[in-house]
Amino acid sequence: MNAALEGKTYPPISFTVGEDHVRRFAAAVGDDGSFVPPTFVTAPEIASGLTRVVADQELGLDFARVLHGEQEYEWMRPVAVGETLDVRTTIESIRSKGALEFLTLRTEMRDADGATAVVGRSSLIVRGAT
Amino acid sequence: MTLRIADVVAGDEIPTLRKVVTREDVKAYADASGDQNPLHQDDELARSVGFPGIIAHGMFTMAHLASCLVAWLGDPAALRRLRVQFRAPVFMGETIVAGGTVRAVDPETRRAILDVWVSVEREGTTEFPIRRSEAEVTLA
Repeated sequence: MNAALEGKTYPPISFTVGEDHVRRFAAAVGDDGSFVPPTFVTAPEIASGLTRVVADQELGLDFARVLHGEQEYEWMRPVAVGETLDVRTTIESIRSKGALEFLTLRTEMRDADGATAVVGRSSLIVRGAT
Repeated sequence: MTLRIADVVAGDEIPTLRKVVTREDVKAYADASGDQNPLHQDDELARSVGFPGIIAHGMFTMAHLASCLVAWLGDPAALRRLRVQFRAPVFMGETIVAGGTVRAVDPETRRAILDVWVSVEREGTTEFPIRRSEAEVTLA
């Protein structure tokens, strides 16, 4: 990976919390669909973060070698069906140790009033990188 | 009804939640979350990197842990922070068990911190796909 990209923030995306999307997510994780599962925010986080870093030619990340090391969410409030979130991801750090590389992404989700609703942090491990 | 602070003390163990992990659920999770990493869908690729077959997304296992916490709390809004470390893979057909122990309760902020985990029984030993992890919750 290109460590010079540490600190890069991708342009924000707009993500609307769709009723059908929430229903499908809840069914996949075994919730009954009566509420938005707290980890539904993984969907906007991936759309803003993982999808972008995988497609970032400058970064040079090999998706097939990626393992998830750690994950954290902080919820200031639950997200609601129908609301639109402004989601932006920053490459917080890029480190290497032996044959492993570590990529940490921080994703902030803001509501229509500009208030932060959720912050996600993903630490990815890239195995056997060259 | 959100769990009341009077009903929670340090040392409490929360009720565990079990789930059998199926290929169908993991595919549904890939589509719903948007994480299409082939490690979770392509057995051949998973074998090429040393696994016996596809593995569940770490986030799928984390979602199960969140379900366990929400069931205990009685309110999804009461889960305020969840930090997990993924330390072992989960294979198809295995039963994952989520649980946790209350580490501390702060009456002033009405918040509690829990040590949380997800385990799986494999060949007679207990593995922890999620361990040394932490949740912060609010209580009524």
